[in-house]
Amino acid sequence: MRRKLKKYWREFLIFLSIMGPGIITANVDNDAGGITTYSVAGAHFGYSLIWSFIPIIIALVIIQEMCSRMAVVTGKGLADLIREEFGVKVTFYAMVILIFSNLFNTISEFAGIAASAELFGISKYILVPLCAAAIWWLIVKGTYKSVEKVFLFACLFYVSYIISGFISKPDWGEVARASVKPQFQFDKVYLLMLMGVIGTTIAPWMQFYQQASVVEKNIKLKNYKYSRLDVIVGAFVVNIVAIFIVIVCANTLFRNGIRIETAKDAALALRPLAGNYCFYLFAFGLLNASIFSACILPLSTAYSVCEGMGWEVGVNRRFRQAPQFYTLYTAIIIIGAVVILLPGVKLIPIMLISQATNGILLPFVLIFMLLLVNNKRLMGKYTNSKIYNIFTVITIIAMIGLSLALLLATFIK
Amino acid sequence: MAGLKEQTNEMFVYFSELMAKPVIDKNGELAGELYDIIVKPTAVYPQSSHLIVRKGFPNRKYGVVDWLDIKGIDSKELTLSIEQSKIVFKEKHNNKEELTLRRDILDQQVVDTYNHKVIRVNDIHLLEVDHCLMTAHVDISLKGLIRRLGFEKIVDLIVGIFNRNAPYLKTEHLISWKHIQPLSINPVSMTIKVDLSHKQLNTIPAADLGEIFLDLNPAHQIALFKSLDIQARAKIFMSIEFKAQKSLVEELDPKEAADVLNAVPSDEATDFLEKLPKETVDKYLNLLESKQAKKLSQLLGYSSESAGGLMTAEYIAFPKDTTVESALKQIKERTFKVEPAQLVYIVDENNHLISSTNFRRLIIASPQDPIQTAAFPKTFFVHINSSVKEIAYLMDKYKYFAIPVVDENNVLQGIITVDDVLNQVISIAWRRLKKIKAKSA
Repeated sequence: MRRKLKKYWREFLIFLSIMGPGIITANVDNDAGGITTYSVAGAHFGYSLIWSFIPIIIALVIIQEMCSRMAVVTGKGLADLIREEFGVKVTFYAMVILIFSNLFNTISEFAGIAASAELFGISKYILVPLCAAAIWWLIVKGTYKSVEKVFLFACLFYVSYIISGFISKPDWGEVARASVKPQFQFDKVYLLMLMGVIGTTIAPWMQFYQQASVVEKNIKLKNYKYSRLDVIVGAFVVNIVAIFIVIVCANTLFRNGIRIETAKDAALALRPLAGNYCFYLFAFGLLNASIFSACILPLSTAYSVCEGMGWEVGVNRRFRQAPQFYTLYTAIIIIGAVVILLPGVKLIPIMLISQATNGILLPFVLIFMLLLVNNKRLMGKYTNSKIYNIFTVITIIAMIGLSLALLLATFIK
Repeated sequence: MAGLKEQTNEMFVYFSELMAKPVIDKNGELAGELYDIIVKPTAVYPQSSHLIVRKGFPNRKYGVVDWLDIKGIDSKELTLSIEQSKIVFKEKHNNKEELTLRRDILDQQVVDTYNHKVIRVNDIHLLEVDHCLMTAHVDISLKGLIRRLGFEKIVDLIVGIFNRNAPYLKTEHLISWKHIQPLSINPVSMTIKVDLSHKQLNTIPAADLGEIFLDLNPAHQIALFKSLDIQARAKIFMSIEFKAQKSLVEELDPKEAADVLNAVPSDEATDFLEKLPKETVDKYLNLLESKQAKKLSQLLGYSSESAGGLMTAEYIAFPKDTTVESALKQIKERTFKVEPAQLVYIVDENNHLISSTNFRRLIIASPQDPIQTAAFPKTFFVHINSSVKEIAYLMDKYKYFAIPVVDENNVLQGIITVDDVLNQVISIAWRRLKKIKAKSA
């Protein structure tokens, strides 16, 4: 018995040393845009969208697991592999779109910082530049290890949403029923919302980021099972948090028939309904998520682009040794912060462009991944099994279909 | 003069310009397009040996053509001297062990042994000699990247409008093949495809070699490591940190790992082993040469901040009645894993330390005299339990590069060189500095 306990304890310790990439990548998914989507979904449709989080968890695990596996087996990042297997042209265009998509994503993260600044009554002209400087400093002065610790710490703050969920005192039986019983409403707005919820879950940068960080952690094949567990835990945690956001908004805003447009509206509307604590927790969650994602997006972009183009990758290097890396990284942060402070900038078109570029890039990235993960020369015996491939193809088709539909829908609207 | 220059330029061609070029057979019919070139990496500049032709879409097929069957290459196409029915087209070309330009070099990472860096190849510069292509340079420049994207002319034109002498247009960023070490792995032997002996990997300083090594992904690390000779392996092992050492050793089979531990100086080996769990240490000690194992297990017993933990068991010692001539002869013949500071110790038959001398004193002494006559008037030594501070103090006071270590019976155990002490002193100084900083903050 004691020996068994000791063994579990040892395995747990190994898991602690290996976890990170999966959990961090998944959590960044609940960024400013994600929180907005979930708040709106809860406020407008109550619990009736909760069921969609279960297929989302499965899709997230399937896709991110392949990235983790490729990283552990080949020791190369996704951009590296695309360059080596599909040539420079494809890589170049993919990277150009990735830069745009991530740039607009970053802008919307800074918008989230600005929104939470207003919620806390701080001027956004102070908080946004301050955060931008802190983010820049973290990566330039940090090492991979220290940065990962900061990120994992940031993941903890997502608990604020879970707490605010409990404060709102939901009917748990109803929540449980809603999460297992899919309920379709054949209503255009409902379907759009559904697409939005699923569509924000898997973005192209995630695959690049996760694979690169697993490579950076130098995880061994024999420890791969822990890396897979990391992905699974990440997928569950992120969706549980998302469910709680929906619950909070469903339980308060939906019940009182309050319509909202943004996460900021949601927090403000929560104040009279659920009290000050709930308001502050919600606002704090938004701030944390926005800063966290604003750290990762520029980093991930610079990383992937330099990897693919064969330039020196930074983090552990100085500016002179990796000029392209630092230029790109710095430029994205500065543009992201400056755009949001310009007077009269509209957020909606920025979000639309970010969604559109994501939608264009995602099919390519997923198809490349499918080809790479099934390449015997690269993966040896670690290619997908047949059944896994069937699931993967279904997921990929669903994801591509959804993101294209979302793309069309947003532009037709 | 200008004409001649143009002519020589004509003979160079970029691989990107050849890729996807139509391949025409003897009868003027299209056989497919150029997909890849197999080269023989035997000479300094590998020579093209086969052509891989690709045809069909989406069901692609690949055929291998001997380079001798190529009649000519011009700016438009490649012409063969055989009929296309002679080419066997298959789903896959099974030339896994050969080195090919597209699969193994283009877009891949290689080691630049001249600039001591890992680089990614943007294009390959080939020299055409009598229909044969020699791999002359690799291109790692932005210009190469833009050429691959198909924008070279436009970008050249635009840059030219702004600055006709822009460094972008003038400098060529070609690296000679003789400095390029490809990293593609032979799937059968699991080692690097190209013979490493030409590639001057040995000339790279240990620290740089270690850094290059860490830049590679694990599969390439292992393949490269296994392709190197034992000296280079030891050099890499010594220049990387404990964590990297550990993960490297885990990938090797125990015999190979033991070989490396045999080849590195004993203090490096102990530094590594003392951080491992006891069972693992015992496993390696069992595999080591008995002499080295004995030395290491002894060293492992000492604390790393005492003389015993710092010392290396590699030193030069001679019995007191050795003649100067024979001592010098033996010094010349012996090879050392590290150069022990130029000190020579004189011992009696039971290895008790008597005195010491150095190379200079030996050279100027008369050859037939016993070695003892060349000895320093006084020899300082430290005890096996002496602390780093004492050792550092002695070394500084007497300006020694190395100091002998003896046990309680005055038996010579090893020597400590100044760099080992410096390492320790620096880390102590750091700790102290941190404390001071923490206090003042």
